[in-house]
Amino acid sequence: MQQNALAQRQQCDREDADLLKRIQRSDQRALATLYDRYAPVFYPFALRITGSHEVAEEVVHDVFVQVWEKGNSYATQNGSVYAWLAALSRMKALEKVRTSNQKKKGSDGEALQPRAPLENEEKQGGQETILVFKGYAEEVRNMLKNLSKLELRLLELSYYEGQSQSDLARMLRIPLGTIKAKMRRGIQKLRQAPAQEGKRP
Amino acid sequence: MKTEEQRHSQLELCIPYVFGRLNPGNRKQFEAHLETGCEQCKRELSELYEAIALLPLLLKQEAPPSGLRQRILSRLSSKRSEPPRAAKPIPQRGVVEASVTKAPPRSWYLYASIVMGVLLIISLLFFLNDQLRTTGELEKKLTDLQAQIQEKQDILGILQVQKVEILQLANMDAGSQAFGRVFWEPEKRHAVVQVVNLIAEPADKQYQLWLVKEKKYLRVGEFDVNKEKSNVFAVMTLPVGERQEIEGFAITLEPRGGSTQPSGAIQLRGATK
Ligand SMILES: [Zn+2]
Repeated sequence: MQQNALAQRQQCDREDADLLKRIQRSDQRALATLYDRYAPVFYPFALRITGSHEVAEEVVHDVFVQVWEKGNSYATQNGSVYAWLAALSRMKALEKVRTSNQKKKGSDGEALQPRAPLENEEKQGGQETILVFKGYAEEVRNMLKNLSKLELRLLELSYYEGQSQSDLARMLRIPLGTIKAKMRRGIQKLRQAPAQEGKRP
Repeated sequence: MKTEEQRHSQLELCIPYVFGRLNPGNRKQFEAHLETGCEQCKRELSELYEAIALLPLLLKQEAPPSGLRQRILSRLSSKRSEPPRAAKPIPQRGVVEASVTKAPPRSWYLYASIVMGVLLIISLLFFLNDQLRTTGELEKKLTDLQAQIQEKQDILGILQVQKVEILQLANMDAGSQAFGRVFWEPEKRHAVVQVVNLIAEPADKQYQLWLVKEKKYLRVGEFDVNKEKSNVFAVMTLPVGERQEIEGFAITLEPRGGSTQPSGAIQLRGATK
């Protein structure tokens, strides 16, 4: 991990923690700043999970309104604000998929479907406007090249589609033990990115 | 690096847990284990959350349609924080209650009472830290207390700055003993509103502070007065800070959650000119 990329991430984490403190004191400008910073990350993220632009917008809306109303539920000792936002966004998006599936059950309508990434969408960084810890994000992308295709696929299926390990074993016809081991390995590789200040040398 | 002997069976459950894929039975069991304060699992979970949160960084960043930002921000001004939930007590945002006073406190008195409050909480923190080192309860209590300390430090911070503006608020009802004042720091627009002897609001109502600018009422924030005749401080951020821009402040009683325009009678008021 490049030193300046890591420093950038750490700087960002510190600023986020300050923003959240201000949000807890009802400072709307702090929320606007946090939005400008992370909506461009969590909007495509919610789109990836729900497959719908409209629902992805709802997810981002709900996440930031919840941050405003329940900013107090974030506890510093549990990690970065970014990871907290990611967990919140994921939960909200999966919830939308689940309720839409329940509603659509038995009707002709299309249920929400995870949206498969477009070809080479995940590789090119050229024309996109990366707003959040650019250098760090690029480092992470480089680092994730160390993951095997299967490791990455398993993580994505769990993360974006909420598949359980036994679902994956059935679906991919791979023994459960192998799934578990591959996922552990994949996550181990992710963990090599020093994400949080003072966590690892 | 953890060695294999140090791992225990629950650690296995951390990965399915962060993905939200433990079955209800295992989930309950695992959460009970976390409640015992297992540091190893907590650390593992926190690191796992950080690790999987890197996955969204693989996606191409894309700003949502531009209207969304405005929709969220306008939603904020029409709906503020919900009342504290019963299950997990969270200190009311921005409100600190100080000791009961009958007469308008002189500023050293006010200052001293806040300092005492901070000292008390700090000593309580250390006491709890010793008593409850490992329970999950402790963290909640610490977070609550830290939030309270933060509030008091915010108040101290505002009172300590070199340039602080003060405006007295008088009551609009001859029979009332209520009064108040607003202290604010023009540059950062941080403010403390203090009210004394305001009657406790009904459950569905909340006091709301307004800033008057160009004869318009700008919403500042809501606060609660839980006990009658108490001396209440609330920390707020003003929409503007310079005295020339501020014609005055007013406090009204509004439906809980606040209003965009004053709907209730003015309880306290003060003008800069
Ligand atoms: Zn454990």
